[in-house]
Amino acid sequence: MAELLEIKELTKRKWNFNTKWSRRTRQNFWLGVLFLSPWFIGFILFTFYPLAASLVYSFSEYHSRKPLVWVGLDNYKTMFTDKLFWVSLWNTLYMVMFAVPITLITSFLCAVLLNLKVTGQSIYRVIYFLPSIVPTVASTLLWLWILNPQAGVMNTLLGHLGINGPNWLSDPNWSKPSLILLGMWGMGSTIIIYLSGLQDVPISLLEAAELDGASWLQRLRYITIPMVSPITLFNLITGMIFMFQYFAQAYVFRGTQGLGSPLNSTLFYSVYLFQTGFQYLKIGYASAMAWVLFLIILGCTILLLKISDRFTYYAG
Amino acid sequence: MATTVTSSKNVAAIDEERRASLRRKKLRDFFQGLFSHTIINFVGLFFLVPFIWMLVTSVKSDQDVFHTPPRWLPYDNVTVVVNGQSLPLYNVKTEGGVKELALIKIVEGTGTFVDPQHPTQELQYEIQQGTTKIAEPIMHIFFRWRNFPDAMSRGSRPGVGASFWVYFKNSLIIAFFTILGTLLSNTPVAYAFARINFPGRDILFIIVLATLMLPYQVTIIPLYLFFNDYLHWGNTFLPLLIPAFFANAWDVFLLRQFFKTIPEEMCDAARVDGASEWQIFTRIVLPLSVPVLATVTVFTFLYAWNDFTGPLLFLSSPDKFTMALGLRDFQGQRTMVWNQLMAASAMFTIPIIIAFFFAQKTFIQGIKLTGSKE
Repeated sequence: MAELLEIKELTKRKWNFNTKWSRRTRQNFWLGVLFLSPWFIGFILFTFYPLAASLVYSFSEYHSRKPLVWVGLDNYKTMFTDKLFWVSLWNTLYMVMFAVPITLITSFLCAVLLNLKVTGQSIYRVIYFLPSIVPTVASTLLWLWILNPQAGVMNTLLGHLGINGPNWLSDPNWSKPSLILLGMWGMGSTIIIYLSGLQDVPISLLEAAELDGASWLQRLRYITIPMVSPITLFNLITGMIFMFQYFAQAYVFRGTQGLGSPLNSTLFYSVYLFQTGFQYLKIGYASAMAWVLFLIILGCTILLLKISDRFTYYAG
Repeated sequence: MATTVTSSKNVAAIDEERRASLRRKKLRDFFQGLFSHTIINFVGLFFLVPFIWMLVTSVKSDQDVFHTPPRWLPYDNVTVVVNGQSLPLYNVKTEGGVKELALIKIVEGTGTFVDPQHPTQELQYEIQQGTTKIAEPIMHIFFRWRNFPDAMSRGSRPGVGASFWVYFKNSLIIAFFTILGTLLSNTPVAYAFARINFPGRDILFIIVLATLMLPYQVTIIPLYLFFNDYLHWGNTFLPLLIPAFFANAWDVFLLRQFFKTIPEEMCDAARVDGASEWQIFTRIVLPLSVPVLATVTVFTFLYAWNDFTGPLLFLSSPDKFTMALGLRDFQGQRTMVWNQLMAASAMFTIPIIIAFFFAQKTFIQGIKLTGSKE
């Protein structure tokens, strides 16, 4: 969020394209060049060149070591008829539509819990936070094990409650909810961000409302939630971007089966992109998919920022 | 005010009422406290129990891992040493009552046992008759810590020379050089954006921020071809390490925001005294920036240690595997050795937990600054 505000700020400035530089300016220019050189070289080599190359690839048929063939918009047209492309897009949208809001709401509620004045508050905060720093592969393996239909603890615990647990990972209807569960276990950093937002809500405001007879729920609804709405927007955007790029968890989650198992239910956009580019070596098509992904993310971000005016409140 | 003198009776009544209200409030607070504690603990279990399950599984014996229903404590066979061999002890229903016998082998449902008291005589019993078990292993609670060295000294698949210790070392090497590169390359860039007033600075900074929005999927394919086919860096750490030495938008932004908070007057004073820009940067700004440098270090470590996609793309032979890659490869095998897998996962997690307890404030501060761990 901060970087977006920064861009807004910078573009407002008046630009000075004076060609006559003073000695001081010239000196500063060369100093700037010197200090910036690591970034500038890196930008050209690792961002600008790949960006241009991938744009060219996306309009070509290209297998590495074979010469590039210009095919125009063919790669982009193929997407419309590629069934797996739509499956992967749907799977990803499923996660964006369900995983993001569920995680957002539960992490907000967890932050509210952790903001209560209870004894051992700091210990609870550590417990809620710790899972989020467990390496992705380790936490994914752990949840594979927990959700194991036969020897896993999850179904045993559900069994104690008289619930016949599903087959989780091997059931195409439950594989994505399993991944949502895994994501919720590691939402500690979102909780921390919300918690810091809750701590910034002015106590005077809450006390004034309490004196006026507002109940706890009313204070939550009419003061706390509007006050943390910029954080909600931030978490919404980062959560959405993360879900569009969802890869490692899905890659590990399939176990010994093929990518996207079971029945392509975990074939997410980035997983399919990886498969297309690095396993089938269809570099042109994969590049086109990457650009479409970029446009989708950009479009969704702009859309969210536009409609956010209605639900975000910026104090001061 | 109608009356200025309140009767003593009234005072008592008001007093009583006040006390009652206080009691009610106390009672309400008590139940509210109880209620919040219950919920906070219940939700806490969701975060805590998987951790415990990882640790419990990591010290289980091979057969206990698949025991149904799963047990919350690790169990193992009680063993006895007979004729120099360590054998599992069984409770066997014999004609002369239940006896403790040691099992030598099972062939087609028939077990060959030996009485530890009379080690020369071998006895044959069926393990099961119909639905009744004749021989049952004697179990005791046993933490098999051996799983940890066992898991770490094996490779991700049978017949692979490199062990998880090698993967651990590789992860450490990659993390170390990534941190080194990140600190060396981002600080001067951020300093230039924060303190040197050169022409074109703002437009360059907008470009820096714009690259933040770029998903890695767009650049990764050409980068892969560039590193692999053009530079022939495939299966080396170089594609993972070298970009770290060329600054990245995120850290530049973070550092620049911090550098801007350092009073300009301090730098100006040094300038008047004839200090060069490089001296101001290294002698004044950097020493004052230890907190943000710590944040960058911690988060770069988290990122490099955690990274899966990069190693997956560029590293192919097991002697180059990182922990993340080794674990995934281990898991891809047909037979799952969950106890060792969890032991190795715990080993993968422990450095981060240690880092967290040493630098708790830096972690929390960093998350608030950057917004997310990713």
